[in-house]
Amino acid sequence: MSLLNPFFLFGSLALAIPVLIHLVRREKSEIVPFSSLMFLLKVPKRSIRQQKMKNLLLMALRLLILALLVGAFARPYMTQPAKPVPSSISNRGTVLMLDNSYSMQYGDNFKKLKDEAAKRIDGLRASDRMAIIAFNESASLLMRPTGDKNTLKAAVDTLEPSFAGTRYYEAFTLADRVLGEFSGDQKQLVVISDFQRNGWNRSSRESVIDNDVKTETVNLGIKDSNNVGIDSVIVEQPTSFSRTYTGRIIARIHNYNQEKPVVVPVVVMLDDKEVGKKDVTVSAKGTALAEFNGFDLRLGFLKGRVRINSDDPLKVDNEFLFSIERREKLNVLVVDAGKAKQSQYLKQAYTSSAELPFEITNVTASAITPEELAKHEVVIINDVPRLPEKVRDKMDELRKTGQGQMVILGENADISWWSAYPKLPVKPVQKIFVARDRGKPFVSMTSYDRNHPIFKPFEKSTRVAMNSAQFIGYMSAEAKPDAAVLAKFEDGSPAIVESSKDDHGLLVFNSTVDTRWNDFPYKTSFLPLFQEMIRYLSRYNESRGWYQLGEGISVTAGVGNATAAVIDPKGERQSLGDIVAGQSKFFTPSMPGFHEIRVGPDTRMIAVNPPSSEGNLDPMPPDELIASVQRTQGESQQAGFLASDEKDEYARRQMGWWYLLLFALLAGMTEIYIANRRYKTS
Amino acid sequence: MSTPVADKLPATRFIDPKVLIRIQNLELVARTVVEGFVQGLHRSPYMGFSVDFAAYRQYMPGDEIRRIDWNVFGRSDRLYVKLYEGETNTRVLVMLDVSGSMRYGSGEVTKIDYARILAASLCYFSHHQRDGVGLLTFDTEIRGHVPPSRRRGQMLTILSELDRVQPSQQTEFRKPLRFLAEYLTRRGVIVVISDLYDEPDNIIAGLKALKAKGNDIIVFHIMDNFELTFPFEDMAQFEDMETQKKLHVIPEYLRTQYLAILKEHMERISKELAGTRIDYCLMDTSKPLDSGLFTYLAARSKSV
Repeated sequence: MSLLNPFFLFGSLALAIPVLIHLVRREKSEIVPFSSLMFLLKVPKRSIRQQKMKNLLLMALRLLILALLVGAFARPYMTQPAKPVPSSISNRGTVLMLDNSYSMQYGDNFKKLKDEAAKRIDGLRASDRMAIIAFNESASLLMRPTGDKNTLKAAVDTLEPSFAGTRYYEAFTLADRVLGEFSGDQKQLVVISDFQRNGWNRSSRESVIDNDVKTETVNLGIKDSNNVGIDSVIVEQPTSFSRTYTGRIIARIHNYNQEKPVVVPVVVMLDDKEVGKKDVTVSAKGTALAEFNGFDLRLGFLKGRVRINSDDPLKVDNEFLFSIERREKLNVLVVDAGKAKQSQYLKQAYTSSAELPFEITNVTASAITPEELAKHEVVIINDVPRLPEKVRDKMDELRKTGQGQMVILGENADISWWSAYPKLPVKPVQKIFVARDRGKPFVSMTSYDRNHPIFKPFEKSTRVAMNSAQFIGYMSAEAKPDAAVLAKFEDGSPAIVESSKDDHGLLVFNSTVDTRWNDFPYKTSFLPLFQEMIRYLSRYNESRGWYQLGEGISVTAGVGNATAAVIDPKGERQSLGDIVAGQSKFFTPSMPGFHEIRVGPDTRMIAVNPPSSEGNLDPMPPDELIASVQRTQGESQQAGFLASDEKDEYARRQMGWWYLLLFALLAGMTEIYIANRRYKTS
Repeated sequence: MSTPVADKLPATRFIDPKVLIRIQNLELVARTVVEGFVQGLHRSPYMGFSVDFAAYRQYMPGDEIRRIDWNVFGRSDRLYVKLYEGETNTRVLVMLDVSGSMRYGSGEVTKIDYARILAASLCYFSHHQRDGVGLLTFDTEIRGHVPPSRRRGQMLTILSELDRVQPSQQTEFRKPLRFLAEYLTRRGVIVVISDLYDEPDNIIAGLKALKAKGNDIIVFHIMDNFELTFPFEDMAQFEDMETQKKLHVIPEYLRTQYLAILKEHMERISKELAGTRIDYCLMDTSKPLDSGLFTYLAARSKSV
């Protein structure tokens, strides 16, 4: 028998009130002098006793009513019959939870963990069985339940500390599942860990371990660690287009020692060559920053390391990896009709700042050659009547190798020639002069595909509006079936169109980029849109300075289908299979270090670091952790009921309150009857 | 207790015991009571009926014509009647119960106060009638005794004896009455003033013995109103004023039974006494004392 609302039992204190009043009044009963007790003493005792009995019965009934009401409100329920207590000679089923997160590399902690595990294995009796779970950020079943000590010891011997963080909850969930296999046995759970507080998320979670499981903890926690580690490194420009690095490398050093400050030398290395060094003073339990810049970069990916020379017992967090890529600027070829100021605004858009990664070359359509075309990553055909056939064919060919192209169809375009260009995603129909053809002064670009990367700058900005530009003329065109219309004029005519995925890498803009047909170049939306269009066409992706272990890394095919693979820090190749152009696959590194990702001919380097939170070794009391994950008796029963779907049975066991109320009603009726009779008699 | 005669009497005619108790001089109290009482009885035809001449009194309407002294009329032309001594020249002994229970009083007037005034009044009245008056106080023993006498100063002796009484012991009728039966050699009137807290057999047996000797006995049963109605509500410890014994009492449990037992006790005594021609009069201390006296004497005169 147990109670759902045990706090209502405090109501039973009310039972004491009438009894107390009775006792207090009895204690305080005054002495009344009376002439003689002669007649009072003659009153038969039986009569008094009967009256007393009646009164006591009434009082008992009233107390009973009160007690029954209190009991009903406390919602009693019948507990399940107690499970037989396993005798000491019954079989024991033990789950050994071993923490192999990277914080266990502190000093000789991992050796201690193995020794403790070996002791538990040695303590097994012939009929006992044991399973081993290794846990860090994830949990894995190292050994299924077995009674073979040698197998268990071998499993422990193969266990190595990982570079992952700590997460207890998943480990306990797995342990509960494994414990379920020991039906009928005495269940035991042994947790050997440094009980890092970081590993436990305090947000409320369901308890997972049954209350009949005997738990034991081996605490290898370090109370006052003198660990100094690198929390994180900020790489301001993971991709650099200049020889001298203009960004900053900022390392954040954390001293976990509670009492004394430390002075640590911080070194930055690129490709194993020291490029900067600083001594940093870090206060006790504090952080300090070390900044580095101004070093030279070679072309391609560089392996960077920030290292601190500290003699603390946890070495893993003394080094932090990052990568920097130095690229040449994007070569953009602008082909125009050779008219004055025709490409002026376009060129300004790409060269307005020295930081922009664009290198612009401007030629006329008559001077363009296929060879010249092939030298550039991106080609912009800016409103030319037509192109030489060879050039056009070369363009088709270069798109397949990854070249991005943009065609601007304006007043100079020869509609018949361009409409005959089969690879063009649109078919130009007519040059529209809005005032003449549409009967209004101008049209705007009112709708666009917000999810497309070229409109990324307009996602959140409220200042830059696409519809601010006024178009007095544009090329009316029909989008081809496979093409994607990315933006439209307000009359529904396509403004920006992208080629189909089979012929990836061609954008068409149906107006001019000078100021003859519109005032677009004067608007704030012009510059970001055309820069994003070039970035998109060049498949330009900014690299990230580093990733954290366990984080998913997207691997995208550049041009066409490509085979992808990852070379891990040990030099082992892991194939990611074929990736279709424009699609991504995710790869999760399993160890820290520099990983090489190869997609077709492209190679990029990424740095992976273990989670810096592991550097904080502050432990939590093991009892607190166990109390958080182990169910109370009530929770176990409730969980059991719901799992077994015996809701009717569960409800029946809670019907006690109903019976109590019924008894209270009956007692109330009896009380009224007796009190009434007594009143009439008196 | 109250009779139909008493009910017809105007309340203002009688003196409240609460007022009487404030008068410290017992003689004055007795005179106050008796004079009011006598005034009420002055029309009585039984007063002064004797053979020994005592004094003349002017004729008043209602006097018997045969009692007019015609000799005096012949000498003085005035009508006088003759008064005679010896008609009430008897011995009156007042037996006053001074047991502890007589100390009880639910209001300002205790039973002993009431009884004391009653005794004094009766003595004064009897003395006024030139009867020999005596006083005997008793509880388990005889506590004080003033033999009946008609001498001057007898009244003062009695009053001083009444003043001195201090109730303390239990009530015990058997012993005092036996003593009295042996002691009294001449017949007379015996007035018993008591709350009768003794077994009825003891009381009745003793009084019967006295009656058998030819005494005229009157019993005044003095009871407090609370004793007669038991109006208590709260649970309390009742302490016996005679024995100091304590008893936890829940009045609501006992009231009915107590009143029934008391009624039975009083009925038995009054019945038994009536059977032996002993007068019994219940006196409630909350009622005026002269009213009780009047009621009693009125009833008694009718029976004579």
